[in-house]
Amino acid sequence: MNKKKLQYIFREKIIKIAYQAQSSYAHIGSCLSCIDILIEVFLNQLKKGDKFVLSKGHAALALYVILNHQKKLSDNDLNTYLQENTLLGIHPSSLMPHDIPLATGSLGHGLSFSAGMALSHKMKNQKKDGHVYCLLSDGECNEGAVWEAALFSSRYKLDNLIAIIDKNRIQAFDRIEEALGDAASPDKWLSFGFDVHECDGHALDGLKSVFNAAKNTQKGKPHMIIAHTCRGKGMKSIEDDIKSNYVVIDDKLLKQSLAEIKEL
Amino acid sequence: MRQAFAKHIGVLCKRDRKIVFLTGDLGFNAFENLRETIGDRFINAGVAEHNMVGVAAGLSTSGFKPWIYSIAPFTTIKVLEELRNDVCLANRNVKIVGLGGGFDYGLAGPTHHIIQDVSLMLSLPNMTVLAPGFQEDIRHIIKTANKMLSPVYIRLTKAQPLDYKIPVYKPIRRLTTGNKKTIIVFGSIIVEALCAINQIKKNSEIDLWLVSQLPIKFPDTMINSIKKTRKLIIIEEHQKHGGLGSAISDLLISRQLSLKFFRHIYITGYKSHHYGSRQFHLKENKLDSQSIFSILKKN
Repeated sequence: MNKKKLQYIFREKIIKIAYQAQSSYAHIGSCLSCIDILIEVFLNQLKKGDKFVLSKGHAALALYVILNHQKKLSDNDLNTYLQENTLLGIHPSSLMPHDIPLATGSLGHGLSFSAGMALSHKMKNQKKDGHVYCLLSDGECNEGAVWEAALFSSRYKLDNLIAIIDKNRIQAFDRIEEALGDAASPDKWLSFGFDVHECDGHALDGLKSVFNAAKNTQKGKPHMIIAHTCRGKGMKSIEDDIKSNYVVIDDKLLKQSLAEIKEL
Repeated sequence: MRQAFAKHIGVLCKRDRKIVFLTGDLGFNAFENLRETIGDRFINAGVAEHNMVGVAAGLSTSGFKPWIYSIAPFTTIKVLEELRNDVCLANRNVKIVGLGGGFDYGLAGPTHHIIQDVSLMLSLPNMTVLAPGFQEDIRHIIKTANKMLSPVYIRLTKAQPLDYKIPVYKPIRRLTTGNKKTIIVFGSIIVEALCAINQIKKNSEIDLWLVSQLPIKFPDTMINSIKKTRKLIIIEEHQKHGGLGSAISDLLISRQLSLKFFRHIYITGYKSHHYGSRQFHLKENKLDSQSIFSILKKN
């Protein structure tokens, strides 16, 4: 499938499932901001023995859609998203430990947990250290625990840890500059001992080369990929807008959005 | 109760210029006016709750009255040590607002619920817990908290409209008078309890009490009620230990009260581990009005 088509079908699915849920809690903006990163990680990067942690748990719908594509979540389950008595809540649960290693949602937990997994892979002395991918949001880097994990990862030379920041520059109540400033700046992560890369988080080609570069360079350092993204990417009316995470998709917005995402 | 809270805290902040309001990046579609009104005294502390508690404690040392606000687990269990060391040990005047005690955040799941907050907060020195029963209580609760010069945790829950004439706020209120059973309820689960009681034909049987503050000296009228009915039911949207149930058990022992019937209805946990609304979780824990009703009917 060509790349444009991939980006379209996943966005279409996210939007349709969010529409079906008729909820203001789908965090559609964050899902569309990180979906291209997830496409690259799940379709090209993750190999047997690797793990992925969605530290920004509020983008769970994007993860569910990917897992559904990989037949790890059935259509029936996906259709129960945000319904009563579902497996699929606003944030990921602990019921699928292989595909969802951590029940996230409270920000600042994922990188420490990922560092632990990465270290465990090393301690088991596996021939090829299984990689651990951890997706954070830039707002999430407000959390002090993220920086404790950064120190630890660097100290233990976790070069099998690949952290990615979905840098869409918006958090729950403000743009990042208005809250605590840019915690996802390359210099901060460099100074914490990371091998830092930057890319356009919506260009699949660029994402692929940056992941490959990260895996092949600077042994002995954890990796950080700062992916520049746009919240709500594809849905023009909510792009780069705080409200993108609080919107309920009605009939009109559904129709309009499905047309707009064709022109990414 | 988010909107009601935003409105009333706005009024209070205008009147009391010592209040500094810190939010952990929460408040979209709720705090825009508040921010506009109080300017520099409104701080978005970001998704950085540990720091927010420390900063609040520091602010209080110069006579400011900091209020911190986030989703309830993030102002309680997440920052417990900062609350203990920085706020409570020195009895600092910091108000802690936790939105969504119990199962309020429904589909957001267990990471966003808090079912042991009362227990955690009551384990800290100098801490008072306030839990509104109804939306109408918010205004009084905020005022009450602001008058206290010590740490206060406000367990803010979502409001449910209720066709019921609500008696004015008191830390402990008697809502119905009866002589067969004493029911004591903590916080906003009172709405489920009232719905259950309304289905009982002879609701004159029930002596119903709503507790909105802990710790507290239980009034003699309430103790006399227990002595008279000797049938006691406690209802709370909280785990078994450390909340209202434990406080009442202590009371029973210290006053040597004997009972014919005792039932504590509390949160047992996540049976199915499935996700759902607050009502779904209440039902799974037998805390919904129907389950409460069947317990009342049988006993």
